[in-house]
Amino acid sequence: MNFINRAFKNVSRRMSKTVLLILTFFLIGNLVIIGLGVSKASESAKILTRQKMRAVVTYGLDYNKIWQYADTIEDEDELEEFYNNYPRIKLEEVTSFLQDERVKTANTVNINMWYADSQNSLDFVHLGNRAEEDIDSSSGQSCWYDDVTNEQMCETYKNPYFLIKSNMFPDMIEFEDGEYQIVSGRFYTQQEIDNGSLVCLISENLAALNGVGVGDSISLAVNYLAGYMQQFGLTEEDLENRFEVIGIFSHSQPITPDAPNFDYCYPYENPDNMIFMPSTTIYMAQLPMQQKQFDYYAEMYGDDENNEYYLDPANRPSEENMASQMNINDVTLLLNDPLDVDDFVRDYQGSLSQFAALSANNEEFNRLSKPLDTLSMYANFIVWLVVINAIVIITLVTALTLKTREYEIGVLLSIGASKLKVIGQFFIELAIVAVLGFTLSVVSGSLIAKRIGNTVLEYQIASSEVSQEEEYYYNGHGFDPWNTDYTTDISLEDLVSEYEVRISPLIIGEIYVLGLGIVLISVIIPSFMIMRYNPKKILMNQN
Amino acid sequence: MTEILRLENINYSYIDGGYERQILKDLSYSFEAGKFYTILGPSGSGKTTLLSLVAGLDTAKSGKIYFNGKDIDEIGLHKFRRNAISIVFQQFNLISYLTAVENVMLAMSETDNEIPKDRKNVAYNLLERFGIVRSKADRMVNQLSGGEQQRVAIARSLASNVDLIFADEPTGNLDTATEKEIISIFKELAHDFGKTIIVVTHSDTVSAMSDQRVLLKDGKLTKIK
Repeated sequence: MNFINRAFKNVSRRMSKTVLLILTFFLIGNLVIIGLGVSKASESAKILTRQKMRAVVTYGLDYNKIWQYADTIEDEDELEEFYNNYPRIKLEEVTSFLQDERVKTANTVNINMWYADSQNSLDFVHLGNRAEEDIDSSSGQSCWYDDVTNEQMCETYKNPYFLIKSNMFPDMIEFEDGEYQIVSGRFYTQQEIDNGSLVCLISENLAALNGVGVGDSISLAVNYLAGYMQQFGLTEEDLENRFEVIGIFSHSQPITPDAPNFDYCYPYENPDNMIFMPSTTIYMAQLPMQQKQFDYYAEMYGDDENNEYYLDPANRPSEENMASQMNINDVTLLLNDPLDVDDFVRDYQGSLSQFAALSANNEEFNRLSKPLDTLSMYANFIVWLVVINAIVIITLVTALTLKTREYEIGVLLSIGASKLKVIGQFFIELAIVAVLGFTLSVVSGSLIAKRIGNTVLEYQIASSEVSQEEEYYYNGHGFDPWNTDYTTDISLEDLVSEYEVRISPLIIGEIYVLGLGIVLISVIIPSFMIMRYNPKKILMNQN
Repeated sequence: MTEILRLENINYSYIDGGYERQILKDLSYSFEAGKFYTILGPSGSGKTTLLSLVAGLDTAKSGKIYFNGKDIDEIGLHKFRRNAISIVFQQFNLISYLTAVENVMLAMSETDNEIPKDRKNVAYNLLERFGIVRSKADRMVNQLSGGEQQRVAIARSLASNVDLIFADEPTGNLDTATEKEIISIFKELAHDFGKTIIVVTHSDTVSAMSDQRVLLKDGKLTKIK
């Protein structure tokens, strides 16, 4: 008849007391299950939605900070010096982020629009909407003032056919994500980036249309030879380059005839006409044009005292100056795990340069998840409130019970039972009824939690200021060629669809742990009372 | 006869209404094994206090108590209570949510003394020896009469296989016939089982049946011849 046995006998033979305590734990268990269920559902809805979003962090200049700093400079020379050395994002900074094992890759995308060469040797993929002549005739006029005569010159603007997307790193987010996939060949390497090699990747439809495969070359013009270009002394050879096709890709963004504005799409708006190449390749391809333009202005301004820029050889476009002249505006870092995004930003925030900013771009996500956060907060609050109340109630019940069981304790102590065993018996008695009460509450609580959880979320959304309509932005015909925003648009609907109150084995486990915790804490005060008991006093009083 | 319990210069006092009240004064006495003692004395003479000291429920202000020649403070009061003594109270002090047999088994589980493995049968046999048949042994104790409950209490005191059994007014709540029965059980325990029985009582019937009557008066114990 050890203390565990005694505990079981006491629980099974004092049924009215046991039933009352089971009922108490049952009620506590239901409230805790509802609270935990709702709280976990809110948290997991956020996590699941976050996991569906791209794990991107943007790094760039904080222009507000730059302007605010410039406003504080009163000296004009100092201000001019500041603007001459305008803050820039350095390639080394981006490279250092890539050393972090959480970072998968980085995009420092530049977008250019190029033309077919003068022989039109590369046809673009037609959307079947506009006639070619219509594309060219609808472009309107392009006007400029002649640098020498100062007369206004105009000519018909020619629409570019190809969108050139370039990057400073070999693994682009689009390809890492699976949005674009290499079907043949490979992506460009770091060595090709460093050398500015004339390599490119084209779409499978563009390749098929022109009968081009990996290892072939295509000819593209960085601009078309018109009056404006001719004034710099440029020739067709200066504008045209041959690029080796090193890879052919497929994509998951076809523009179908049912897309809005399909009839008005230009060729460069078709992802089939998108061409990927390193940013340095762009620089190298444009080099003859850039050099002639530079030389033209250097000669025109001559030894004008304000012509310092053109007199400095470091400013002349050249292969040697390429590294220093490559401009990085915005960087998008792709992380391996969307759940690391906030931590990553927090980790680096303190060590960024003065005008740089790192952003998790989760303002919208945070705004939309506010009802879930509020719900989770209230649910957790209820859980803690119930737990604290449960501890108080169970402590009081145990302490009062102790008073009525003084005699029994005295007997046990007088026959040599240790006080720890007496406390152990009380703990086990409470633990038995707690386990029974909580087990019953798991069944009922699961049913109630689901219903209450959904009702309170509906109420929470209705009473919050977040609306479903305002957060969704629909873009033109479904493909925005200039879009370099890699963040994922989410809606309140996305979040709500992931919200499901489920009483998982983990929650059930937590409830039992919490229940035993309540019992353990509730036994502490009565234990002190037992430790102070003197068997002589108890038994002499009885007798 | 062998000495089992010796009290040496025991003093015990407590504060009552601001005055120190001396209950036991340099009390010394020796109890022999296998004898049935009764301690008599007027109300307030300190009989129950003395019992609580020798039972290890309380400690004296000064003096020593030796069990089989060992200081009980050195043995440890908790261990002493668990392995050396049993107490039978006027109110029986049984656990109400246990059956009679479970109450007896309770004492077995708390002692370090050697107890036969088949504890339940040993408990049944003990109860049967004191007139509690199996059908009653399986009843909750509050379903038994006062005399039966006291027998259960005595059976429990024997279950832990101790040498010393104390009893505080064990027949105070019983009728005369039952009182006699209980006392003969105590005598049997002393003479047939070699247990030392020390009973605190007011009852002349009880004291008359004991082997040795001891009077507690003015804080000291004296043999009554």
